[in-house]
Amino acid sequence: MADKILTGISVATGIAIGKAYFVNRNHKAHLPRQTIAASLVPEEVDRLHEAFSTVETELAAIRKQVPAELESHGLIIDTHLMMLKDPKLSGAAEEYIKSLGLNAAWALEKAVSDQEAAFGAIQDPYIRERMQDVRAVADKVQAKLIGFDTDLTAISERAIIMAHDLTPADTVELQVDKIMGFATVRGGKTSHTGIMARSLGIPALVGVEKLEDYIHDGDLVVIDGLSGKIVVNPTETELTEYNERAAYFEDYTRKIKRQCQLPAETFDGSRVQVFSNIELVEEVASVIDNGGEGVGLYRTEYAYLNRTELPTEEELADMYIDLAAIMSPRKVVFRTLDLGADKFISSYGELNEANPAMGLRAIRFCLKNPQLFKTQLRAILRASAYGNVSLMFPMISGVKEVRQAKAWLAQAKAELRREGVEYDPDMPVGIMIELPAAVLIAEYLAHEVDFFSIGTNDLIQYSIGVDRTNHLVSYLYQPLHPATLRAIKLVVDAAHQAGIEVSLCGEVASDPFCVPILLGMGIDSISMTPQAIPGIKRIIRQTNMHDCRKLLKEVLGCRTVSRINSLVMDNIFKHFPEEVTFFSSLLENDESPT
Amino acid sequence: MTEENGTMNSESEDFLSRQVIVANEHGLHARPAGKVAQHAQTFEAAISLVHEDQEVDAKSILDILTLAAGPGNMVEIRATGDDAEEAVESMVQLFANKFEEG
Repeated sequence: MADKILTGISVATGIAIGKAYFVNRNHKAHLPRQTIAASLVPEEVDRLHEAFSTVETELAAIRKQVPAELESHGLIIDTHLMMLKDPKLSGAAEEYIKSLGLNAAWALEKAVSDQEAAFGAIQDPYIRERMQDVRAVADKVQAKLIGFDTDLTAISERAIIMAHDLTPADTVELQVDKIMGFATVRGGKTSHTGIMARSLGIPALVGVEKLEDYIHDGDLVVIDGLSGKIVVNPTETELTEYNERAAYFEDYTRKIKRQCQLPAETFDGSRVQVFSNIELVEEVASVIDNGGEGVGLYRTEYAYLNRTELPTEEELADMYIDLAAIMSPRKVVFRTLDLGADKFISSYGELNEANPAMGLRAIRFCLKNPQLFKTQLRAILRASAYGNVSLMFPMISGVKEVRQAKAWLAQAKAELRREGVEYDPDMPVGIMIELPAAVLIAEYLAHEVDFFSIGTNDLIQYSIGVDRTNHLVSYLYQPLHPATLRAIKLVVDAAHQAGIEVSLCGEVASDPFCVPILLGMGIDSISMTPQAIPGIKRIIRQTNMHDCRKLLKEVLGCRTVSRINSLVMDNIFKHFPEEVTFFSSLLENDESPT
Repeated sequence: MTEENGTMNSESEDFLSRQVIVANEHGLHARPAGKVAQHAQTFEAAISLVHEDQEVDAKSILDILTLAAGPGNMVEIRATGDDAEEAVESMVQLFANKFEEG
């Protein structure tokens, strides 16, 4: 047996085998706390300032390398540099060395705690959160003091990067050609680490608890992004197995990648469009590489996060125009802001919502803040002159909301027309169907818009009433729950009845087990992460629409999730034995953990 | 460059003073605070910002952040030292230009 097998959340698929290399750890847990002799105080003070200036020099060098498209990272680094130079932090730490005789790392920890107290009293949540930046800066200095080498440029051989957390600065600094995979303690599904790993085509796991306890620099580790496992110091047998699996997986990905530009057409001639979900404009390269026929969901939130000021129309338009122009004539569907008030800067006030998931977010937030909404609508409209742009509104619950949102769109159009700015007057407008209310009135909504896009992740959570990140109830999160299936069917039928197209953009779309059912429903297009496209296209190309409809009919007659899952799995095992080996599925039994 | 630790005792000495308004959209947040500190550091004079009875070192981004001065808030700039006059004038400009934000 291997020394240890750890599990995490896979944010990028693949298998990597190599040496572990820690770029940072949770210093707080390992912080040395000693008092030092009075005679050594001057030396310790020097050591402190030296650590500060080394980190400053390194960070300044990184700042210079930040590419223009990552300027938002650059601005965070600027703030970090100012904090490093701030005499308040280093000076307070120096005082603790002198007055209490603490070692430098401990003294700095106390100085940081003082700052924490000062920041904790601040009302403005945005400013209060800047404490995270103070923490990040102090972490780097402490790492220097403790002797953890955080110099990422010093990686001499190919390695698997381990970290407590990877900051934007870290990711800018990494030499990409030396990295085989990532594993971090912090971070979730949408973390920066995942985006970076997917674009590099290497596996990554986040949320790996105890990573720092069980793995040491130089340990041989296997990162299995297919199953979300890290195998620490595997045995000969395990190593051979993983080597074979990795080679087999590589062959398979190469094979499907070769065919990924072919259309997604079933044996019996049904065409489905396969689009991609993206978050950053930079991801378009991988959309095109992986055979994506367009962008089915552009999540526009990223430009609004981690910054002090709202993006200007100019800034958004520049980005949106780039995206529309690069993808043209392929389609790009812009989803308007899908953020909660909690994610926003303080000028919108602190709301203290008891239940933000059901609170002021997405279209509700935009309708409450028309200035912000219109800025984005204008930017999207401007991009529509440069390519094949569609727009959709998230979290729609009723007809009135659609009409209100469309009224703002009409106003934005009128303004642009008056100003003589070009846009596509016929830009299609759609809505996300992700609330049960929208499902039930789909036939009314269908008359208001040009297309539907079903967001299954939220739809499943809202209709089953389950938070999938809550491990006590996550077993109830069932993509193929009879209610989910009926909901999708209802929406597809209502859309087609009204003569509009319907797309699906949840994780279900990239689950090879679920795809035949979606085809059977008659979905017009599916949208998924770029990396999933080749595999899903392959499944579609080897399927018969006739069989999918038959499977769907059977499945719709089932009353329990377990019965549905077993039917669906049987189908896949029979037709796609290879896929079964390589793809983890969302489908699990709905049994309550004991 | 002079470094001030702790709050300055402004009552015991003469200082130049000017009132300014935080005119940018979101107040003295990270980026504007960084700009102010960076700017203040170019002067020899000891410079402080006062807002609601709290006086902080204008050369410290951390101090400025803890002021938590929002848009529309009144802030007093105080400076003492050789180039105090120039410092105050130039700090007033920085506030007036909304911290050179785009």
